Amino acid sequence: MFAYLIRRILITIPLALGVVFVVTVSFDLIPGDPAALILGEFATPQAIAELRTSLGLDRSLPVRYVTYVADILQGDLGRSIRDRRPVTDILAETFPYTIQLALAAIVLVLGVGIPLGLLAASRPGSWVDNLIRVTSLAGLSMPVFWTGIVFMVIFSVNLRWFPVSGSGTWRHLVLPAITLALPSIAVVARMTRSTVLEVLREDFVRTARAKGVAERSVLYKHTLRNALIPVVTVLGLQLGQMLGGAVLTETVFAWPGVGRLTVFAIFNRDFVLMQGLVLILAMVYVFVNLLVDLSYGLIDPRVRYQ
Amino acid sequence: MSVAAPAAPSAASARRDVWRRFRRNHLGMVGAVIVLLLITMATFAPQLAPTDPADQNLRARRTPPNAQYLLGADEFGRDILSRIIYGTRASLTVALASVALGLTLGSFLGALAGYLGGWVDSLTMRIMDLFLAFPYLLLAIIIVSALGPGILNTIVAIAVWTIPAFARVARSAVLQLKERDFVTAAISLGAKEARIMGVHLLPNFAATLVVYASLYLAYAILMESALSFLGLGVQPPTASWAGMIASGRNYVTSAPHIATIPGIAIAIAVLGFNLLGDGLRDALDPRSAKH
Amino acid sequence: MKTRAWTVLLCIAVLTAGAAFAQKTLTIVRPSDPVALDPHLETTAPGSWVYTQILEPLITVNQDMEIEGRLATSWEFVDATRLRFTLRQGVTFHDGTPFNADAVKYTWDRAISSDPPGRWRSLASAVVGAEIVDEFTVDIVAAQPFGPLLLVAAMPYTAIVSPTAVEAMGSDAFTRAPVGTGPFKFVEWRANDRITLEANDDYWRGRPALDQIVFRTVPEEGARMLSLRTGEADMVLMPTPSDLPALDADPNFIVEGAPGVGIFYLAFNLARENVADVRVRQAVAHAIDRELIAEAILEGGGVLATSVIGEPVFGYKDMGLLERYPYDPERARALLVEAGYTRGSDGWMRDAAGNVLTLQALPSNGRSLKDREIAEALQEFLRQAGIAVELDIFEWATTFQLMRGATLDYDLNSFTWFTTTADADYTMYSNYVSTEVPPASWNRWRYANPQVDEWLKAARASLDPAERAELYGKVQDQLAIDLPAIPLYGSYEVAALAANVTGYVAHPIQYILDLFPVDKR
Repeated sequence: MFAYLIRRILITIPLALGVVFVVTVSFDLIPGDPAALILGEFATPQAIAELRTSLGLDRSLPVRYVTYVADILQGDLGRSIRDRRPVTDILAETFPYTIQLALAAIVLVLGVGIPLGLLAASRPGSWVDNLIRVTSLAGLSMPVFWTGIVFMVIFSVNLRWFPVSGSGTWRHLVLPAITLALPSIAVVARMTRSTVLEVLREDFVRTARAKGVAERSVLYKHTLRNALIPVVTVLGLQLGQMLGGAVLTETVFAWPGVGRLTVFAIFNRDFVLMQGLVLILAMVYVFVNLLVDLSYGLIDPRVRYQ
Repeated sequence: MSVAAPAAPSAASARRDVWRRFRRNHLGMVGAVIVLLLITMATFAPQLAPTDPADQNLRARRTPPNAQYLLGADEFGRDILSRIIYGTRASLTVALASVALGLTLGSFLGALAGYLGGWVDSLTMRIMDLFLAFPYLLLAIIIVSALGPGILNTIVAIAVWTIPAFARVARSAVLQLKERDFVTAAISLGAKEARIMGVHLLPNFAATLVVYASLYLAYAILMESALSFLGLGVQPPTASWAGMIASGRNYVTSAPHIATIPGIAIAIAVLGFNLLGDGLRDALDPRSAKH
Repeated sequence: MKTRAWTVLLCIAVLTAGAAFAQKTLTIVRPSDPVALDPHLETTAPGSWVYTQILEPLITVNQDMEIEGRLATSWEFVDATRLRFTLRQGVTFHDGTPFNADAVKYTWDRAISSDPPGRWRSLASAVVGAEIVDEFTVDIVAAQPFGPLLLVAAMPYTAIVSPTAVEAMGSDAFTRAPVGTGPFKFVEWRANDRITLEANDDYWRGRPALDQIVFRTVPEEGARMLSLRTGEADMVLMPTPSDLPALDADPNFIVEGAPGVGIFYLAFNLARENVADVRVRQAVAHAIDRELIAEAILEGGGVLATSVIGEPVFGYKDMGLLERYPYDPERARALLVEAGYTRGSDGWMRDAAGNVLTLQALPSNGRSLKDREIAEALQEFLRQAGIAVELDIFEWATTFQLMRGATLDYDLNSFTWFTTTADADYTMYSNYVSTEVPPASWNRWRYANPQVDEWLKAARASLDPAERAELYGKVQDQLAIDLPAIPLYGSYEVAALAANVTGYVAHPIQYILDLFPVDKR
């Protein structure tokens, strides 16, 4: 088990370096010069050249990449091209906001999505089931920035229950979390419903029923564990995406998280910031995958770690 | 003395069974009707739309629904009903083409990885991981820069995004298939038995793909709206539902119909695709019948 | 249990008392966070809106476009290349450093000759540096006679920084926590979230009425407007234009605006065949209903442009565009016919080979007010005149790169140019002198008229305002005939405020936000 963990963590390193390399190359491929963008209307070729030199942008790609990797090993992620602040500082400021939002949303997904899915699966074909299926489809089909603004209008402006945007108190977190969670709730509800129904059809469940085990016990004890595995996979994916930055939600609610930071970095061609972001995000992604895999073991002890 | 295996179902009768099961599934039929309606709208847009979707009438901007503008007018005074009808073309094309492309490429890659196994499998899966960890927005901008703005790059950008999911599905299906074959060979049943396995497994694989495809059709439309929101979507004057929501969101308080109506259109389309997908899956796999 | 109840009551009492003595805080929402708060590094409006409260230049331009002394009490040209300032005495920086000629020299030297120089260096290309005459007298010296020098010295970028602070903190830290002489002091900057300033009790004009200013970053326009309605924000910068009439009519809100120094225009690329013929350009001008665009798309967020520079800019002259090029699609088609195109049965104008006249356009996107919407409207206007327009809408980094290129593969592009110094030279020279082509400068339309070159060079070298104004007038008349660019709208610097905010007067120069006289009842 320990060896398994170590091996998984070690795999992170080539993955992270690989992503950073691809990002570095990508920025060279797309048009747009961060130095020119900074200078704006003052972007004469001389000024651009001077700025590029002072920012170290005039070195070749291999040199930049190798220097960057060497710096990472010393814990230095470089300085953002745009505002010259250490990337580590910027990430340390921004990640807590994203984690807050993602956790709040996942709590909603777990607390609302799974029970809804179970409810639908326990009464297949009933009006409850159909209602849940259709409303979850509705939750899936509305663009996040649209639902965000609608919630803002209803709950912030008309009802004055929550602030319009920004961060600071738990009240600021509610609307963004709901907006972000809504599509995931729908996905998880649907997934829970379908996997539970599938498992309910399995032979061993029929056997348990034939033996006269109480319906409730059948549903929760026997089916839930097996049904949970694909659900956990989906949850992991959702969490990974949320941690990767809920760009649309963050933009609408002015939530200062990683998603918005990614957009800034790309639109400003701030590849140093982007490299740092991608590095951390790759590690987050691996971490979440690891959590998901470990939880398989918790749910179903039969799963072994090769 | 072995028990005679039941006669393998003929392909034709299997198809008839599928159709019969599908017809009985009411929600699935609703989905089919919706999708058919959308395709009709897209095909006969010039005949159905009251005006040219690009015709602007700035003085009539943001008119709420009335006798002249049945669904109202947008910020340029363009008829929303016409734009919804013509928008079916762009939205359907983007959704269907991107999912088709993603499904084809993804399934091929995944099936290849699963079939070949070994280092090919590991490499493919690691590349998929790299892919998922790569910031999607950057990828979208790379594609736009390479292909230029327009509908083609939107399709490619969304297709690329769907590839990992389809690859995973195809790969696990092929792995299952391989395992079964292995087991079968070990127990050395007759060839007929193997064909039965193929007939039963493939529908499952197809069923899973159909479910994912219908889910991703919904996602594709949403991705298109996200790209439009960030300024990377379909170019004017082409009408697309997602683009209409993205540009109409500034008028939420003054003219909510501009963004709400395409939002409803998207919801109906997504619902239709998903109901159809569910219905197809139920029809293809009788074990998953709900009643 | 009893102790807990008392604690709760005590807390409530304290909080209520605190509320009674609450600070007067002005909360401002705007779309983006600054890059830096040091004028050395920050040349965009989001930064200057904040640092103009903290740092002050020697002179400034007020809302009536007159020069006012800030850290200087008087100024004069001692000769053609030397501008002498008499400095205000008894002023200290927020960190206690006394203000004197050393600080001025330090600031200017840093901007002009340090490595790297100030981001705005190319603006003041003729300036050599600052020379100390005595403790409260400084000369700004130019290499040759430079007409715009006075207005360059009035730019917010030239704000004086505390030398001790810069030396002690280092440039990188100073730019996150600037120290100046202004009415407000820096308190805190939470990146991408908010910047907090507090009143400077020792300000030389007297303590401002506000105790605190908070600048909040809210990218989504709808959210900004809603914040104003709920009272979370007192002031919205860059509000939604279509909301303004309703807000103006509502007694709970105020709308304060002034025509600005920016012009958004449709520019032609004269190096391209399709638009090289002036009749085609004139046809495009006739095909666009500029008044309707101002009314229906800008909806008060911009003013109809009457020249290639804004009205408040020194040297402005009305180019008479509405008289010369009224909205007349039929006239547009007639001009195209003169230029060799024929009207097809389907309405499109075709050239001799039968190809539809198609113009490639690179519009700005999300950079200027309604730029994307205007591009769509222009496409439709030109379609009505039989001209096809293909839009390539990219995000700004790509668009900017393409616009700066040595060759531009587009017939049309759109852009806003702000005459930051409020002096016509700033825009006209770099945009219209034939040698100022990209990537070195901004003559993106590859316009070349030797007579115009002469006039602009003479205007730059002259120190006589009347002479300069006349020369710029001639240039604008010529540009109205040659039409390398069609000005579409002028910027309108507008803010939406809660009715209890008094004393705010909008400033035509978009970088200046005058919050010193503002109070909150």
